[in-house]
Amino acid sequence: MTIQECYEALGGDYEEVIGRLMREKMVQKFLLKFLNDKSYDLLVESIEADNAEEAFRAAHTIKGVCQNLSFTKLYQSSELITEMLRAGDTAGAYAFLDNVTEDYEQTVKAIRALQASLPEEAQ
Amino acid sequence: MSSASNSRHANQSKRNIRFLIVSFGGLALFSVMVFSILGIYMNRRSQDTISEVGELYMEGVREQISLHFETAINLQLEQLKELVEMYDAEDLSPESLRAELAYRAEVRNFSHLAFYDQAGAMEFIYGGTLEVIDSKPFLESMKAGDEKAAVGRDPQGNEVLLLGVQGSYFMDSGEKSIALVAAMPLEYIKESLSLEREGGLLYAYIIRKDGSFIIQPSDVSEHSYFDLVRRQYEVDEALERYLSLLASSMERGRDYATVINLADGRRQIYCMPLNKTEWHLVTILPYGALDSAVDNLSSQRTIMTLLACGSVLLLIILIFMRYYTRTRQQMQELEEARFTAVQATKAKSEFLSNMSHDIRTPMNAIVGMTAIATAHMDDREQVKNCLKKIALSSKHLLGLINDVLDMSKIESGKMTLTVDKMSLREMLDGLVSIVQPQMRSKRHSFNVQIDRITAEDVYCDSVRLNQVLLNLLSNAIKYTPDGGEISLYLYEEVSAKGDNFVRIHVLVKDNGIGMSSEFVKKLFESYSREDSTRIHKIEGAGLGMAITKYIVDAMEGQILVESQLDVGTEFHLILDMEKAEAMDLEMVLPPWRMLVVDDDELLCQTAVEALKDIGIQADFTLSGERAIQLALECHRKREDYQIVLLDWKLPGMDGLQVARELRRQLGQDIPILLISAYDWSEFEAEAREAGVTGFIAKPLFKSTLFYGLRKYMVVEEGDQIPDGPSMDFSNRRILLAEDNDLNWEIANELLSELGLELEWAENGQICLDKFRQASAGYYDAILMDIRMPVMNGYEATKAIRALPREDAAAIPIIAMTADAFSEDVQRCLQCGMNAHVAKPIHLEELSRLLERFLKK
Repeated sequence: MTIQECYEALGGDYEEVIGRLMREKMVQKFLLKFLNDKSYDLLVESIEADNAEEAFRAAHTIKGVCQNLSFTKLYQSSELITEMLRAGDTAGAYAFLDNVTEDYEQTVKAIRALQASLPEEAQ
Repeated sequence: MSSASNSRHANQSKRNIRFLIVSFGGLALFSVMVFSILGIYMNRRSQDTISEVGELYMEGVREQISLHFETAINLQLEQLKELVEMYDAEDLSPESLRAELAYRAEVRNFSHLAFYDQAGAMEFIYGGTLEVIDSKPFLESMKAGDEKAAVGRDPQGNEVLLLGVQGSYFMDSGEKSIALVAAMPLEYIKESLSLEREGGLLYAYIIRKDGSFIIQPSDVSEHSYFDLVRRQYEVDEALERYLSLLASSMERGRDYATVINLADGRRQIYCMPLNKTEWHLVTILPYGALDSAVDNLSSQRTIMTLLACGSVLLLIILIFMRYYTRTRQQMQELEEARFTAVQATKAKSEFLSNMSHDIRTPMNAIVGMTAIATAHMDDREQVKNCLKKIALSSKHLLGLINDVLDMSKIESGKMTLTVDKMSLREMLDGLVSIVQPQMRSKRHSFNVQIDRITAEDVYCDSVRLNQVLLNLLSNAIKYTPDGGEISLYLYEEVSAKGDNFVRIHVLVKDNGIGMSSEFVKKLFESYSREDSTRIHKIEGAGLGMAITKYIVDAMEGQILVESQLDVGTEFHLILDMEKAEAMDLEMVLPPWRMLVVDDDELLCQTAVEALKDIGIQADFTLSGERAIQLALECHRKREDYQIVLLDWKLPGMDGLQVARELRRQLGQDIPILLISAYDWSEFEAEAREAGVTGFIAKPLFKSTLFYGLRKYMVVEEGDQIPDGPSMDFSNRRILLAEDNDLNWEIANELLSELGLELEWAENGQICLDKFRQASAGYYDAILMDIRMPVMNGYEATKAIRALPREDAAAIPIIAMTADAFSEDVQRCLQCGMNAHVAKPIHLEELSRLLERFLKK
């Protein structure tokens, strides 16, 4: 699986990210790092704990990461949830969380597929 | 306005007029009455005063006459007494005494002199004989030893004045006289009293008790005053009473005064007895002259009073009328204001109903799609499709809400401009990259042109200007059917505001559906939207243009619009902007020879001008064929062009064909750059394959050319990073506050490429601590995320700026955030940050910013 295919699978903009980060190696490195990012877990926890402020920050961080990595799809849902949380609408965010989760899982799944296809030393 | 309220209004004003007329009439009547009463009263008062004055005057005159008379009589009596005292009857013989007396009498102008005896007989010693008229009272007085005057008559019937004093002489009859009597002409009194009425206001008669005149007035034939009065006037009761009262007063020797109205006027009459005679002085003061003077006065006063009354009324009328018209005017204004308010309310409620429609539509889509998605949980394709539509509707809804919020900010006067240094080039670059996807999806051809821009850096609110241009452009895209033509044209002029300013003109033109002239008139009003069915499916709150207009007004600029239905629309924006200081870099490149190829002559000329400014000698040509010809000619002369700028779209041979041909003929040495307003990612591979070295984005600012060309001018071999760093950042240290380690690593990786050394602060507090602990000048700049736990970017910046060390205020702090709302940007600047970049990190943009701030 190429990185470009991975981006197609996760609904991202490969052209854009390569335009900014320049090297495939770097993109790949960050993609793998995304798997370790705890922001999503923090978002879920905070929403469940009804901590709007913390949830907002977490969503905002996800949004920022998505922008950096050009994850268009996850960016869109994370932006929406960020705006809901900015307005303090935790109930709405709770209802919307499933959409984010879906996009997040799609993203993680694609990256894992990429990871699986890489030769050992790259992992 | 309804007819009911119209007629109510008319009724009201009729009532008002009636009230005014009635009250004015009343006032006029009242004034006339007051002035009349005043006039009548004053007339009465003046009549009384005149009577008083007459009385006073008459009293004076009367006293004077009687005094005068008395003096005249006394004088003569004295003379006579002197005669008596002069000679002692005992000393002289009777003959010589008489002769002496006669002589003395003559000397004293007496006409007669006589001795007067007890019986009233007279013995004349000088002059002829006389008889005493009405001798009885005279005799009585003489017997009593008084001095007296009386009238005598000579045999010829002439009357003379008789004067008698005590004197005892022997008379021929042997008797002893009791008095000496002298006579003199009556003219003497006449002269001394001047009783004639010639010219005088007042005249007088001297009469006896029976009314007969002592001195016959020359113009009167009657011998009695009573007869005179009876003849002159019709005898009535009042006159008779007057005459009888006069007679009885004289009889008793009393004064009598009266005012009597006679046929020829009112007169005052005063009768008094004269001393040492049996006579009475009647003084008559006709009021005629006085009355006429007074009448004249009072008629003048009446006229003046009427005039005064009239002028007061006139003034009141004027005031009333003025007041009335003013009230009318105010009512009208009020009515107009009410009308405008009603219109505004109407527009607002229309807007609300539109808005509720506009909001409901995407909301319904969201709700509906959510329902569909829920029903088809297992059908991934269906759910995906639904979510896509939901995302689209949400985005649209968010746009609507943002517009409404902006508008409410404007309406409450809270929107302000944040004027700062900005680059027109950067702004246009950003703008072009934002609208390109939309342009492409609607297959519009998009033409960007600039001309004569000398000041790229100006002072302006870049966020708001961007909003305005984005609004104009997205309207152009929205209201132009697919495959239309849209152009953005920018040029500069001398500003009327002074040398420090430039006037920037921006034209946004499309060949879309256009607007009706009625709509153009209210285009900039809030809550308006072309309300015809063809527009209905196009979204928008109708606030964009109102917001645009407001921003342009706040920038003291102008926005003009020309539009024709089904032909297109052109917006013309004119703004005066203050020039920022000259550019940081002196933009000069080596004097290379260069060829510009574009079918647009204006663009070619502008580019050649701009190139000349940065030191490059450039030729231009309008077609690809001619370009190849020129290049070959120069090649033969061994004066090859050192760089070729090529438009992508050309008539005949297109840009790529030309590039291929040039490469074939001239080899790989010369850089060939493609100019394009489009995102070249689509045809990049093809272009590179055709031999294109790189790309330059329209519009061609001086700085665009400078930065775009510089990297090809410097000898750079091989596969260098396009748009790579132009400044050496090695050994520069940057503190980066970012809570997310992935983001941090990306930033670290990217910025390390520039040779920067980065240090990581996981939140605002750590950032603050690290900065505080480092020595001054250790860090060259701080990149600051906004949303961080413990301490956010705003607080951290404020805390750093407040530190008591010399670089606390000077160190550049650049915000990095995923939020690009204008409020966030403003808040960053308010907190003391120098600039703001939006995530994701664009190396080019960031390096440019760092270049700007690290230079110092």
